[in-house]
Amino acid sequence: MLTGTLITGLGLGSMYGLVALGFHITYAVSGTVNFAQGSAVTLGAVLGYTLGVTLGWPMPVAIPGALLGCALLGLTVERLLVRPFVEKGSDAWLLATVAGGIVLDNAMLFTFGKEPRSLPSSLAVSPVEILGTGIYPLQLLIPVVGLTVAVAIQTLFRRTDLGRVLLAVAQNADAARLMGIDVRRTVACAFALSALLAGAAGLLIAPLFSVSAEMGALFGIKAFAVAILGGIGSATGVVLAGLLYGLVEAGVTATLGSTYTQLVVFSVIILALALRPDGLLGRAAINKV
Amino acid sequence: MHRLRAPAAMPLTILALTLAGLGLVGLTGGYSHFVIALVALTTVAGTGLNVLLGLTGLISFGHAGFYAIGAYASAILTGAGLSFWLALPAAGLVSGLVGAGLAVPAMRVKGPYLAMVTIAFGFIVEHALIEGGSLTGGQNGLVVTAGPSLFGFPFAERELAFLAVIGAGLSLYGFHRLARSRLGRAMRAVRDADVAAASLGFDPVRVKTLAFAISAALTGLAGAVLPPLMLFIAPSSFPFAQSILFVLSVVVGGAGTVLGPLFGALVTVLLPETLAGLAEYRLLFFGLATLVVLWLVPSGIVGSAARLLPRPRTGALPPAMDFARLIGQRGAEALVVEGIGISFGGIRAAEGVSVTAQAGAVTSLIGPNGAGKTTVLNMVSGFYRPQAGAIRLGGRDLAGAPAHVIARAGIARTYQTTRLFGSLSVLDNVALAFEPGRLRRRSGGQDRAAAASLLAFVGYAGDLDRPAAELPHVDRRLVEIARALACRPRILLLDEPAAGLTRADTDALGGLLRRIAGQGIAVVLVEHDMPLVMGVSDAILVMDAGRRIAHGNPAAIRRDPAVIRAYLGGADTPARPRAAAWTPPADAVLSTLGLTAGYGAAPVLDRVAIEVRPGETVALLGANGAGKSTTMRALAGLLRPVTGAIVLEDRAIAHLPAHTIARLGLALVPEGRQVFPELTVIENIRLGAHGRAAPIDPAEIEALLTRFPRLRDRATSRAGLLSGGEQQMLAIARGMMAHPRILLLDEPSLGLAPAMINALYAVVADLRDQGVTILIVDQMAALALTVADRGYVLEQGRVVTAGTAAELSADAGLEAAYLGAA
Repeated sequence: MLTGTLITGLGLGSMYGLVALGFHITYAVSGTVNFAQGSAVTLGAVLGYTLGVTLGWPMPVAIPGALLGCALLGLTVERLLVRPFVEKGSDAWLLATVAGGIVLDNAMLFTFGKEPRSLPSSLAVSPVEILGTGIYPLQLLIPVVGLTVAVAIQTLFRRTDLGRVLLAVAQNADAARLMGIDVRRTVACAFALSALLAGAAGLLIAPLFSVSAEMGALFGIKAFAVAILGGIGSATGVVLAGLLYGLVEAGVTATLGSTYTQLVVFSVIILALALRPDGLLGRAAINKV
Repeated sequence: MHRLRAPAAMPLTILALTLAGLGLVGLTGGYSHFVIALVALTTVAGTGLNVLLGLTGLISFGHAGFYAIGAYASAILTGAGLSFWLALPAAGLVSGLVGAGLAVPAMRVKGPYLAMVTIAFGFIVEHALIEGGSLTGGQNGLVVTAGPSLFGFPFAERELAFLAVIGAGLSLYGFHRLARSRLGRAMRAVRDADVAAASLGFDPVRVKTLAFAISAALTGLAGAVLPPLMLFIAPSSFPFAQSILFVLSVVVGGAGTVLGPLFGALVTVLLPETLAGLAEYRLLFFGLATLVVLWLVPSGIVGSAARLLPRPRTGALPPAMDFARLIGQRGAEALVVEGIGISFGGIRAAEGVSVTAQAGAVTSLIGPNGAGKTTVLNMVSGFYRPQAGAIRLGGRDLAGAPAHVIARAGIARTYQTTRLFGSLSVLDNVALAFEPGRLRRRSGGQDRAAAASLLAFVGYAGDLDRPAAELPHVDRRLVEIARALACRPRILLLDEPAAGLTRADTDALGGLLRRIAGQGIAVVLVEHDMPLVMGVSDAILVMDAGRRIAHGNPAAIRRDPAVIRAYLGGADTPARPRAAAWTPPADAVLSTLGLTAGYGAAPVLDRVAIEVRPGETVALLGANGAGKSTTMRALAGLLRPVTGAIVLEDRAIAHLPAHTIARLGLALVPEGRQVFPELTVIENIRLGAHGRAAPIDPAEIEALLTRFPRLRDRATSRAGLLSGGEQQMLAIARGMMAHPRILLLDEPSLGLAPAMINALYAVVADLRDQGVTILIVDQMAALALTVADRGYVLEQGRVVTAGTAAELSADAGLEAAYLGAA
């Protein structure tokens, strides 16, 4: 049972980490957060199902198609729900993205339908036995893919021009402008990337759970908790917090039962923030007067 | 006065709405009662949230939790046999206490972190109720068996609807009273400018905690009426979505307005009812409605409607009061600062600073940019905790005490950029400062009269009821001074009060400062405007690089060679002029004509006309605040909009954004270097080439590293770890990577050690000799002129002198522009 708990924990944890990384990217680059990230998780899975199962596209086409849809969602959110408010110096982007998430969730509810459906995957058919526990290959794949993507994102940031441009904007937007960097476009890119990560997480977990229009909402909240817990400005902190969160969640579910999970986990969040107001690896800003 | 703005208009409106609600209950029956009661309860809960969101500016995505706590407390207590009429206040109290408890972690965090704490709270409540065993009934919830009764008269749906409507009326009226009370104004003050609120003695943590408690109590009270109304409550009645609905309903109605939550409740409750056939779509509609409101009427339905009403005018105020009685009640006392110091991340921002500010005198603190003046002010006023030294006032050591404690001890201050409470009226800004920190105060009418007299004393002649956010710049300064005086301070600290003022306004300010000192107050002035400093000061302390370099009266300071060197750069820092005479081509690379710009209301640049020709090095000189850096920002496109023309090689760029201008070949090396701290030195350099078309040639980077050997040694370390001088070299190298048509250097020597400045200017001279076109701004005027071919002198945003470097060096007017005319 321990093995199963560990693998479930790492799997879910890496997915939380992935979505939380999305929160981190937009926050670092623009100081704003897309509270509709949960809807992007749903959209990834729903599009994957619609393209791959309903329309019967081959999966190697359906998956990039779904991810592209999520990236477009990110661009739309930035253009309609974030930029108009940020440019007026208003904080209303927070509520606008919350409202946008509600609209999208409900729109999917009516087009996709209420009943959850299962997304078939050849990797979630026959379990393999590891240390006495039956585990689907997909369950093993998820943490691997999750961490690989996290590392890939880090590499993208550190090793590519686009990554350095994103970092430059995050560290000093005015200086970035002086380098000839189009800050607006960079922020839009960050939102697209962020929603794409959420969509990827949705696609990965879809075969294990089931695809429904409501699957992303709670997932998004937990991922936000992870982002906050890790320190939303720190990519490493966010991914670590994701794994930690997944393990604690799986551990509590296995020992106390699933009903206690959220009670314990959310209490821990409040306690952790009371003790470390800037998250695990977050840094306090210098208060200028 | 417009009748709808009259003081009695709002209570009468609330009364009328309440009576209408009661009438509606009387006239209808059955299900309508339930709907009306629900609207009323949602109004009460929304009003609770409005205290937090509208007055204090804090978000909560967990208010369904307080709603649930109220409901369960009421159901459990009545289930245990307690009368509903006792359970109701008990439920409000429990919820309020939980709210105050939640404020403890919530006050330690901000922004998205605060949102997370409240989200977590909502989930904890929901799941605690599920796990509550027989006390809460678990998933199944609690069934209410016996409804409340009053004097043996049973309360059914109809009576509960009456009760809820009256409750809604009372809560709206309560909010109306709270918003106008001192506590309510303190909440808005904390929201608008928490730093300034603290320096008026308000402890932001206490104010916010109270707001949380009041907000939670109201929402809990609303929840307490739910059990007898619904006859059944369960955890699923209080999901996270309910918390979001509360927030959205307050925002749609108009956060901060009295009637906003009522309108929000009407929309949230009635929309699904009228769309009964489309019940499934209600969240979709509600989400869209919220977006439409946010896009089109950001202040909400009620907030936008209220704006259509004309602004009220104050009635006649009592005659002016005796000023000495207003501010001179405390005994005069000197401020004694002994050897205070602080460092940030290893950099000593101030060290061993000692100064005594005598009562009744003006003591000025001057020095070049980055000398540590504001840092000293921030330590004295309690925003920074000094790591050494003492700050004494009347035998008490205040070093390290928090801002609100220092304010109450009698030290008031103003800020470099004014921090007024934008949503409060001018009068309320000042009145709030009487009796620093008191959250309750009776003599409201007298305070208003006293505030009006203080405003008259500082020379404010505008509208007393105008929201402070709408004031022009000069008035903001004056109101801020009046507000500081209202604290009845013994010490008044002013941080660059003349910044952005015209000469005439500055002269008037000088007179005001003398009059304030004349009342026995010790005035401490941090200021760059030398005519003002030299004109009003009794004593001057000069700082440079965090240390005190001179102390004395104005005449002595003006003659002090150390001061002149700190300001103008001395002859001991040699920079290399051109070896041979040189005449530039006639066509300018960069020129401006009639360039005018400003931040907000105050114009900072006034019809500036300069030009730089190919290969030329031009210096832009002037005292702090003359508009040098603003010119640079305007040229580079960081400051927009500007009027007038900026031409870069025959192309008008005054309307272009910064990144486009950078790509056209104008490279600004900004003030304060602004390297990318988390990127390596090499990465920083490579980013410099981002905007140019040509790919990066490795030999090019090699050549730069040869020119800047110190950068080669640190090529792979993070730029944030470099010393100030190294960062400046890096910023120049980064700028050169753009292959710029013109290189703008903004204050390159700022905060650098003399040896480093020499090395830096050697580089600038090299670049010039290689034919790079340079426009340089440097506080060290004498130094900048040694490398420059020509120069312009700015004063108050205008070009006052132009000439060759030799002409300007010989001009006595330049020293006067920096240190004030003798």
